[in-house]
Amino acid sequence: MKLLRNQTWKENVTGYLFIMPQLVLFLIFIVYPIIEGIRLSLYKVQYQQETFVGFQNYSTLFHDPVFFKSIVNTIIFVVFIVILTVGFALFVSSAVFDKNAKYVSFIRGSYYIPVMVSMVVMSMVWGFLLNPANGLISYAAREMNLSTFNLLGNKNTVLPVVIFVTFATNVGQAIILYIASMIGVPKDLFEAAEVDGASRVQVIFQILIPLVKPTTIYITIINIIAVLKIFVVIQMLTGGGPNNATVTMMYYLYNNAFKYNQLGVASAVGVIMFIITLLLSVPQLRAMFKER
Amino acid sequence: MQPVNLPKKRELYDVFANILVCVFAVANLFPLYWLFTSSLKNSSDVIKMPPDWWPRTFTFANYTEVFRNQPALRWTFNSLYVAGLTTLLVVIASAMAAYAFSKLRFKGRNVIFIVFVSSMMVPKEVMIVPLFRITQDLGLVNSVYGMIWPNVAIAFGVFLLKGFFDSAPDALREAARIDGAGEVRTFLQILLPIVKPGIGALFILNFVQVWNDYLWQLVVGQEKESKTLMVGIATLMQDLNPNFAYKMAGATVAAVPMLLIFILFQGYFTRGISIGAVKE
Repeated sequence: MKLLRNQTWKENVTGYLFIMPQLVLFLIFIVYPIIEGIRLSLYKVQYQQETFVGFQNYSTLFHDPVFFKSIVNTIIFVVFIVILTVGFALFVSSAVFDKNAKYVSFIRGSYYIPVMVSMVVMSMVWGFLLNPANGLISYAAREMNLSTFNLLGNKNTVLPVVIFVTFATNVGQAIILYIASMIGVPKDLFEAAEVDGASRVQVIFQILIPLVKPTTIYITIINIIAVLKIFVVIQMLTGGGPNNATVTMMYYLYNNAFKYNQLGVASAVGVIMFIITLLLSVPQLRAMFKER
Repeated sequence: MQPVNLPKKRELYDVFANILVCVFAVANLFPLYWLFTSSLKNSSDVIKMPPDWWPRTFTFANYTEVFRNQPALRWTFNSLYVAGLTTLLVVIASAMAAYAFSKLRFKGRNVIFIVFVSSMMVPKEVMIVPLFRITQDLGLVNSVYGMIWPNVAIAFGVFLLKGFFDSAPDALREAARIDGAGEVRTFLQILLPIVKPGIGALFILNFVQVWNDYLWQLVVGQEKESKTLMVGIATLMQDLNPNFAYKMAGATVAAVPMLLIFILFQGYFTRGISIGAVKE
């Protein structure tokens, strides 16, 4: 009996020692910031001086039209980018997944390379292409006599442009995921459908898309969360402009924290975003644990 | 492959869809083509309209200018150091933890694992204010270590590697124990070699992720010398120098390492990225 208890005690200690490094870092850099973020959101912070103000930061936020604009913009970005990404990735993957391996890896590579070289580099190229004075796209717009050639300076065109750039840069990840999951669908399902005389479009809509639904859920959630924190493309292409037309929640948070020194307000934005991401990830987490 | 069905007629939809996929694939690479060719033009050719689709005169002057005017070598070194060391630490910490979650029985094992995995979904950027203040308190602003530690804390690696440890048979571990190997030796010499493919995938994915981790590095590296390549190169866009070829050369310098990694390790990406997804 005593020996047994000794045994489990030893197992426990060994286990804790093995997870110790990860656990300590997790507590310092993830758990503590969350608690501290919630606390700071209830304080007015001026340099070393902190004053408790209750929910004042939150009420400041909800009286700020720019914050509202940032929420609306973020929602617009999330909805359009996620729909474009899922739709286009489904189209590409369903077209190529059953072709020969070389072709598949060429397509996968072509769409994934922009993801690799990062949003920073891609934003720089797009910034050059869209530059009103000497960008290729502005030049083309002028040649075609379009009404605006400064696509980033016009509040009607700037949102679609940012949506397109973000989508085009990041769609490769969804394509990789879909292709992997479509290759895993059992071949006999397609053969059976073929015998029944189903067309390819029918096979895609009635067999393939329902079967990759878990992947669709996963792609949707990771993309919602990724777009929710959209920042780089805004900072590099538009600076939130023109006239706050492209301010997002993350950009608003960043400006409050590191430009206007409004740490309490910025923390409140962070808390709101934290709650949103937590709620959004519940279905994904549930799916992951159901598997076990 | 059933010979009965051959030659199989391709459906019209299939043909059209694949043509479109190829056209879009090429179009999607065009901005990168434009980036590389523009970086090789001189300052007047780069903004010439109608443009030269292929550079008339090749010049590497823009590249030498990037490295002469900016501490680009220093930035590259910072990026390599941050991405390399973060990844090394991630592999060590998450391999240990994943082994424990997979093979050891201890109290609270499941709860702690669930908390770890749940935290993966929350981007660290939303807590950037408190995270920055901790970094400040630890004296790590403008230090590569300020960029490194918060990324080591992310539990993605634990999640990824646990799957690999789970598929290694328990019998191996028991056999090692009977031979008198301690827990540490069992971990290092028996289990670790088995999960090598997982470690490979984690190494690549994490390296790229940290290399491209722009916002946090922007906040931590405030002095010019302490910036990483991505952050430093991004400042060229606001640079007063109006020469776009120079800016594009900078962007190319930041892009090339990742392109090389992708070309060399494409298989790891396909596998590594898919592991995170829900299996059918």
